[in-house]
This record gives sequence, structure tokens and C-alpha cells, in this order.
Amino acid sequence: MAAKSGDTAHLYDGKTVRSSAPSRKKLAAKGNASADIPKDAIPTVEIPSFVESLLGGPLVPKMKFLPADKMVQNLQLGCYGVLIALGILTYIVTPAVGTIWFAITGSMAVANILQLMVVAGAIGTGFWGTMTRDARFMLASYVLFILSVMRFASSKVSLSQDLFGFGDSQFLLTILVVVYAVLLVMYFELSNGVIRFSMLDTSIRTREVYVMNVKKIIGKYHRSLVINPLIAGSLAMLVLSVNTILPAFISLFSEQTALRMEESVELISVYGVALGTLFVFLVVGALFALDLPTHLQSWRENKD
Amino acid sequence: MWSRKSAMLGSLAVAMYLLGLTLRNSQLVTIAVVIFVFLTWAALFGGHADVAASGRRAEEWTGEEGVSLSNVSAMRKLSSARIFEDGEVGVTLRMQNHSALGKILEVKDRVPEVMRIKDGANYILMELGPRRETFIEYTVECPLRGFYSLGPVAVRVQDPFGLFHKEKELHVYNDFLVFPKMEDLKDTFVKSKVPKIFTGAVNIRQPGPGSEFYSLREYFEGDSFRAINWSAYARSGKLMVNERERDAVSDIILIVDSRAVSETGPVSRNALVYSTRAAASLAQYFLGRRDSVGLITYGDEVVSVDRDTGKKQLYVILTKLAGAMARGNIPLQVVVNRILPHINKGSPIIVLSNLEDDPTVVSALRDFRARNFDVTVLSPSSLEFEFDAKRLDRTGYEVLKTERDVLISELRGLGVNIMDWEPDMLLSTALAGARGF
Repeated sequence: MAAKSGDTAHLYDGKTVRSSAPSRKKLAAKGNASADIPKDAIPTVEIPSFVESLLGGPLVPKMKFLPADKMVQNLQLGCYGVLIALGILTYIVTPAVGTIWFAITGSMAVANILQLMVVAGAIGTGFWGTMTRDARFMLASYVLFILSVMRFASSKVSLSQDLFGFGDSQFLLTILVVVYAVLLVMYFELSNGVIRFSMLDTSIRTREVYVMNVKKIIGKYHRSLVINPLIAGSLAMLVLSVNTILPAFISLFSEQTALRMEESVELISVYGVALGTLFVFLVVGALFALDLPTHLQSWRENKD
Repeated sequence: MWSRKSAMLGSLAVAMYLLGLTLRNSQLVTIAVVIFVFLTWAALFGGHADVAASGRRAEEWTGEEGVSLSNVSAMRKLSSARIFEDGEVGVTLRMQNHSALGKILEVKDRVPEVMRIKDGANYILMELGPRRETFIEYTVECPLRGFYSLGPVAVRVQDPFGLFHKEKELHVYNDFLVFPKMEDLKDTFVKSKVPKIFTGAVNIRQPGPGSEFYSLREYFEGDSFRAINWSAYARSGKLMVNERERDAVSDIILIVDSRAVSETGPVSRNALVYSTRAAASLAQYFLGRRDSVGLITYGDEVVSVDRDTGKKQLYVILTKLAGAMARGNIPLQVVVNRILPHINKGSPIIVLSNLEDDPTVVSALRDFRARNFDVTVLSPSSLEFEFDAKRLDRTGYEVLKTERDVLISELRGLGVNIMDWEPDMLLSTALAGARGF
């Protein structure tokens, strides 16, 4: 059995303490009766700020991460892969026409260069942020990716490069845009996961947290990384295909109306997409208003 | 409950959706739709937890537990409800999942801040199967005396991406008591020239009815046969009897200063910590000698434990010392005025105080001495604690030290046995110093 040490001072090394009686330092040195609490007696509690917590972790890391473990390394690799695919797709689906640089400069060449620079910047900062696990660069990357897609598109999906002839088929074009959107959201999540799991891993290795059944927990996250994008992509496809689904449904009652709808400019434009989205999410909103998730959860919790 | 991350994604999706309509940009609308689907799916099927995702500590519970946590319960068992400083308490937390669904839970059992987790962990991320239970075991080291409470147990469940979470506080509490640690004074006192120095000059080292062996003498008529030392008789051929030391049962009064100023210095090294440890050690020593010991602590109020003997009294005193909080600023004179009518003349009085910020110290101790009480003052020096902790510069330290020395000299002039107790000095050494050894 280890011998017990009588001195407990070591327990307080770098540890926050509750409070302490006023220091007499000032009283001694200046002769006044100040009751200031010594700075080292004031607890220092580090809680992520609002902006920091939006990213799932500190913007300027106060806690130095330990070298990445296998899980974090895998997430980083996944993030790099998604980033490359996302960069290529962003360049393809966001031509310089309609961008703010095109509006300012009026030159297609300059706008093209600037658009390319924004996309390259988004990829570069994303790479660096993921590699160094620095949330500031990740945030810059998110902003640049969003900036690159901010363009006046006059309801049409146009491509800057169409090597595989996607532009010829509305369906393929929709798939391309959905894949692009899913990749963007996955990039958000994976880069976020790099920070989150680095923090978790550091906490585990510094023995702040103990994890039981690590494989099951990580497995569940990995499964979600596959299942959620598939579901999101499928549902998004469904929502975005409203301009074909709705006329098909209407055709059961009236062929003519369905034909008119198919040819309607509004329905095949972005407003049609928006209308579909609105419909779907009104239904989802109603389900939430009826507290369906709670009922569903109750049923799952209590079934034999 | 929405996490900040989900709130950000939700806001981003709404902004992109509206902007997409304004700019007639279907890419923006598509991104918004994908984000909405992500959020909806996560809100519908959550079941994972992790430490950092929500940007909130497990302590910051706000009260939304949801159905998913209604079937989770906790029970806790402690290895001991009473320990001494630097002791350890083993904690076993039993987590139960009564639902048909397996859960990944983030569990934090709240431990008082001053304690250190020695073995195991009180913060666990676990997978708890359907209708299963698990035991979490950890050990906390308790370096400071006091009344402590473990709990509540904070439980959190989240979706895989940390978008939504449910939290619950399981109000399971276990109280325990940490007594001040004690120094063994027995050897020091027995070995000193005048062992029962605190019991007064009249009562010590005299033969009489008692339990401790004093000497051998020849048998006189009237001596009890039970006192005959047969071994000595065999050796000397004369009837010899054992003489025993007269038991010096006295009333000992311990006065502990627990005013706010007594906590000056680091948390683990200040006058109050030293005073309580000394009082506990002295109480143990005197009660072990079958003396009657009383305790008075004063801070924002005067709390007293009536004189009594035995183990129960030691427990009562230790409990009072464990709960002594540094508060208030009652002067010593108030204590003296209150207790003077109730204590026997000549009773030894031991005052444990840093003697700071109390202008009545001299007059109060003079009152004791005037009535011929044997007064001993052990004064843990807060100056040293502060100087060691580098909160006091050299000049300030010298000035205050000089003032303190003057006060100590003045008290010594009144006939008070006083010792300036420096931080690294053992209690037995300080006591010997106070008594002039």
C-alpha cells in the first residue's frame, strides 16, 4: 500500500479554489485596509463562448490537443476526401455568372479568377484547419464555401464545366446539386467532428472522462455518418423533385391540369422547389407540433 | 433541446432558403433543404452523447429531460460516511436503464470541487443496453475537513452529431463528513519531563488512585492486597506494592478562532486548517487521558461543546471542528465574557488563533490570567502562509511580523504560554515551545 502523504498542498497545484480571505498585501505595503480578494484565489472557469460553442469547441483552443488518435485521424482523412470532392463540385455548380464579382467587375475572366480563388481559399483553409485542428480556419472555410454559392442564378442550374453532360438531364442536374449540398453539410459535420473528438480524446487520455464500450460509441457515430447523408440526400431529392411528383399526382385526376403544371415556369423554377420544400416541412412541422417525436420515443422506450 | 450548433445550422438553413428565393438560386435552397432534413432526422432519432458537442458543461442543466431519460435511474453507495483529512472515499454509482432501448449516456457524478479523483472517473461516456445496469466505481481523496455532499448525477443523451440533447439531473445525494486530521501527541507528552503539564502543577506526578504505574514501595498495613507486586516480592523477599499515578482529571477548554480572517492564506494552509487539526489532536489526547474537554469556536457566532469525557465527546468535537466555517469577526473578549462564569477556576485553556484583527486579544487573555487560568495560545502565523504563497512582499511581511512579535511579547508578559506556530512546525513541537521546553 502506498504511504499516505500528510502534505496536501500538491492537490491544489493549478487547481481552482473556492475562495480565500482577503489578502493583506495592500494593507502591508500601502497601509490601507483593502479587502481585495487575491487574484489566485478567484476561480477560473473556462466555458466556451457563444461563438466557440457554435463550432462545437473552442475557437482559440485553450486546451492543447494531444496528438490525434486513430479515430481523429480517420475523421481528418474523411474530411480531406470530402473537401476535395466538395471543392470540385463547388467549382462545377457555381459558375462565375451571377456572382458578386461578376456584378462588380463586369468581366467574366476576372470573375472566373476571383470565383476560383474563393473556392481554392475555401479548400486551403479547410485543409489547414482540419490538419492543425484549428476551428478558426474551419470557420473561414465555411464562410468562403457559402460565399462561393451566393450568386444570382435566375432559377436555372448552370454549370461552369459540364464534361459528363449533366446539363442535358434535369434529373442528373438535381442529383449533382443534392450531392453538392450533402457534401457541404458533411464537410461541416466531419470538420466539426475532428474538433469534438479531439477534445473527447484529450479528455479521455487526461483521465477527465472514462469511456465504456468505445467501439460501440464510435461505431454508432460512423454509422450515422453513412446513414444520415443517405437519408438527407434521398429526402432532399424527393423535395426537389416536387415539380415532377406533383404533376404526376395531379394527372390521376386531370391530365390537362397536370400537363399545364409540367409546363408551368413557376413550378420548374426555384419557386417550385421552394413550394415543395414548404409543403414537406409544413407536414414535418405539424408532426412536431403534435409532439410526434415524443410519442415515437415513448413507444420505442416502453415496447417489450 | 437545441444545441447552439443546431441553432446555428437552423438559422443558416433559413437564411439560405430565403436568400435562395431572393437570388433565384436553387443551390442555396438545396443546401437549406439538406440541412433541414439533417436537423429533422437528428431531432427524431437521437441516442448518442459526447462531452464537447453542445458547448455546455454537464453542470449547466436547464431542466429539459425528455422521454429518453425518464427511464434512467441512479443509486450511489459510499465506502464510508466519516473519514479524516487525506482519507479516501470509495464511491459506487449504479446506473440503470429501465427502457427497452439501449442508450449512449454521458454521466457526470458531481464531486465537491476541493476533492480529487484518485482512481476511476466520475465523468463517463457509456453505452447502457436495454434493461441493463452498470456500476461505476471511483475513489475521491478528501484533503480538507468539512461536510460534503456527492451528487446530483447529471445525465445527458444526444444525437450522433450533437445537434439536440436531453439532460436530466438525478437527485441522488450522499453526505459525508471529513474530520480534521490528528497528530499523535502521546509520545511527546509522555516523554517530556512534566508529562501532564496541562493539568496543573498540583495534580501531576503524584501517587494516588489511578491507572498508570508510578513506583514501587514497601507494603504498609492497610494497603490493598491487589496492589502487591508479587514479582518484586519474589525478587526482594519483601512485600512490595505498586503505586499508581494519580489520575489528573481536569477540565480542558479549547477555543478555536474561526473568524473570516482565520482563513487568510491558501486553502490548504491557513490558520483555521491548522487550528482545527490542533484542536482535534489535543481533544484526542486529553480525552484519551480521561480528561474532560470542552470546545468553543467563534466566528460569526460563539458555538460551544460542553465539557465531557469519552469517545462520544471526541466524535462531537470532531464534528463541530469539521463544520467550522471562516465567517464573521466576533472578538475574543465576547467569548471570554460568555464562558468565564461557566468554567472551573484553574482549568487549562488552550486558544488557537492567528491573533489578527482583534483589538481585544490582550484584555481578554488578561481576564483569564487575572483569574489564574493556565492559558496556552498556539498562534498559527497567517503571515507565513501569505508570504509562502507570495501574496505578501518582503516589506509588508517585515512590518506585520514586527507588530505580531510585539503582541506576542506583550501576551507573554501577562503569563500566557504562547507560541508563534510556523507552518512547517509539528504541533507537538509548537506545544513544547509554548510551554517553554
